[in-house]
Amino acid sequence: MFANFPGFLRFLVRRERMTSVIWLAAMSISAVVIASLFPGILPTEEAMQGMALTLNSPAMVAMMGPVYGLDALNPAIVMAEECLIWFGIASIIMNVFFINRHTRVDEELGRDEMLAALPTGRMTGATAAITGALALNIAISLLTFLLLSIFGIEGVTLSGSFVYAFSIGMTGFVFAAATLLFAQLFSTARGVTGAAFAFMGLSYIIRAYGDMSNSSVSLISPMGLGLKVEAFYSDRVWPIIILFIEGLVISAIALAICSVRDVGAGIIPAGKGKSHASRFLKSPLGLAWRLTRGGTIGWAIGMVAIGLSYGSVIGELETFVQGNDTIRMMLEGRGGASSLAEGYLAMLAAIMSLIAAIPLVLTVNRLHGEEKRGRMEQISALSIPRDRLLVAFTILAVIQAFAMPVLYVLGLYAAVGNTGILPFGMIMQASLAYIPALLLMVGLAVVLSGYAPKFISLIWAVFAFSFFTFYFGRLTELPEWVSHISPFDNIPQIPVEEFSAVPLVILCVIAAATFVAGFAGYKKRDLL
Amino acid sequence: MPVIQTIQLTKNFGKATALAGVDLSVKEGEVHAFLGPNGAGKSTTIRCLLGILRATSGTVQIFGQDAWKNSVELHKRLAYVPGDVNLWDNLTGGEVIDLFMSMRGKGNSDEAARREKFLQRFELDPAKKCRTYSKGNRQKVALVAAFASDVELYILDEPTSGLDPLLEKVFTDCVLEIKKAGKTVLLSSHIMSEVEKLADRVSIIKEGKVVLNGTMSEISARGKTLEELFLSEYERRA
Repeated sequence: MFANFPGFLRFLVRRERMTSVIWLAAMSISAVVIASLFPGILPTEEAMQGMALTLNSPAMVAMMGPVYGLDALNPAIVMAEECLIWFGIASIIMNVFFINRHTRVDEELGRDEMLAALPTGRMTGATAAITGALALNIAISLLTFLLLSIFGIEGVTLSGSFVYAFSIGMTGFVFAAATLLFAQLFSTARGVTGAAFAFMGLSYIIRAYGDMSNSSVSLISPMGLGLKVEAFYSDRVWPIIILFIEGLVISAIALAICSVRDVGAGIIPAGKGKSHASRFLKSPLGLAWRLTRGGTIGWAIGMVAIGLSYGSVIGELETFVQGNDTIRMMLEGRGGASSLAEGYLAMLAAIMSLIAAIPLVLTVNRLHGEEKRGRMEQISALSIPRDRLLVAFTILAVIQAFAMPVLYVLGLYAAVGNTGILPFGMIMQASLAYIPALLLMVGLAVVLSGYAPKFISLIWAVFAFSFFTFYFGRLTELPEWVSHISPFDNIPQIPVEEFSAVPLVILCVIAAATFVAGFAGYKKRDLL
Repeated sequence: MPVIQTIQLTKNFGKATALAGVDLSVKEGEVHAFLGPNGAGKSTTIRCLLGILRATSGTVQIFGQDAWKNSVELHKRLAYVPGDVNLWDNLTGGEVIDLFMSMRGKGNSDEAARREKFLQRFELDPAKKCRTYSKGNRQKVALVAAFASDVELYILDEPTSGLDPLLEKVFTDCVLEIKKAGKTVLLSSHIMSEVEKLADRVSIIKEGKVVLNGTMSEISARGKTLEELFLSEYERRA
């Protein structure tokens, strides 16, 4: 059953030497960097109390988990309350993809068949995958633990670092095991990812419910259990041990199924699709929509959810900002807001429009992905103009540029609506003012697709720069012309600043020019 | 004792019947061609032989041993080439070949020399990443890994799809050489000229059953080409 396990494991390590090392470094280093920032963000007792109060509001508990240690607050406790869940989620995502890529993805592409034709046991592949995941989780936990404990960050203890780091790793391990189980049940890689993330969503919701009602329901959810370590305060080890045992039990069940099933088959059969294309699908726009549909719907739901969650904290702003000059400076921005809520709105509108740019760029760049995989050759051989599919993806991105801001405005207003702090018209104006910047981002992606497909990822550099100028431009005095390179920086920050149509019109004109130029370039260049 | 023997092999996927009692017998030292159109059950039969699929009923034996139960031992003695080779993007062709050969675990000293020889014969650059290979080159990776291994049985499932005529010639020569060395080959193929050149015996599968089994000389005695025989078997509707 386990024949050739060492060979398989070596092969897995060889395949993983890039991806996993990047995850390992990214997870542990960012955990430490973020932890080291907290003493600076929370310099005084009042600041910590204010932050803890904000975190203790129902909406924040639902989002990030329970608050503890109010009697002995230090920056490390607040950091763990605010960050552990996000590292847990990152770890879960890593584990889901890790297991899927070594099980069902291989099986779906028929690579597994060649390995299965070698003298390997029926459970060797699955066992190697879960062993590799466990090793990676332990490596991440150990490195995070070591790095956290050596820098002498205020409030960070040895035992606290240990439970913090291993909570991340073992929460991930449970989801690795669950993904291994789903890989036995579902016969497509997409089905496995879908089921794994649905399980993550479910355990997040159970945890949110349990944490809000302060009940033990949270313990059912692996994510809730992981937060029960109360890092840097109680430093409990038992949640980590239970998570580890849960992971082992689920893995054992998955392996038992694996040993008796056919390669390539799942327990739950793949659903049948339609045998005919709908009228809409038969057009380039229809094809483009089908290819991006799932992602777009996901992002749309995400926009509403982010709007809701940002909106829900608006009532606690005053307490939050008390004694915290860094955040006050960020909120008040350049103009100096008449109220904190208005400053908050101006900042939110900027952040949200930056986030909204991601799905737009992904949509335009999808064409490049199709080209790289050689699927555009068949489309290009049909009797449609060359640029038609690029136009189709662009149309979808433009529609999203209008829809995404509206969606988060609705989410935001749903959360703050009856408080009367911010009128709907003001939220709408502040947010929709960014649409020209979004259009320009689409345009830049189109130009890159048209002229320099090899450098298509430059659009993410523009994105990162915009983020940088937004975040740090307010704290460190950047020269104005530098930050104006960012499309987002040219938008009037309503309601802190006055509305002015001129920059919006200019941005729209530039965006239109980039569309035209991009399409023309795409018509002329070689396909990849 | 035949090298491969299936008796009344059936395989159901849910309610669908893929194999409805396949009787296949491959003798030691012969090149046995396995013909049939897409969906007739060739690959399903081969996957049952490899212990990748579990037979619903019937006997599946290789070297007289059960193909499902003893798959690990049996796989040390056989090499498999699928018709649609997918490889790992960030590994090189050479790495994949080494991986397959080392996991088969023979470790004969002359396997390294054979590896070099077949790399040259198939004109494959082993230092390229698999993501840059064309379909034909990925096929070559699987072929080199198989031929370089010193095994008794070769199971080849449409192994030449994607190869150009020159390389198909190389493939034909390779099969003739291993046949001369007394090895056994099960060759599933759609290319009739290839089969006519190589095969000693032919089995034709239709709707999950073997409908014709005979030596090449028996077939030529009927005064028909293989292609005519194949088509007539399939046009004879029940």
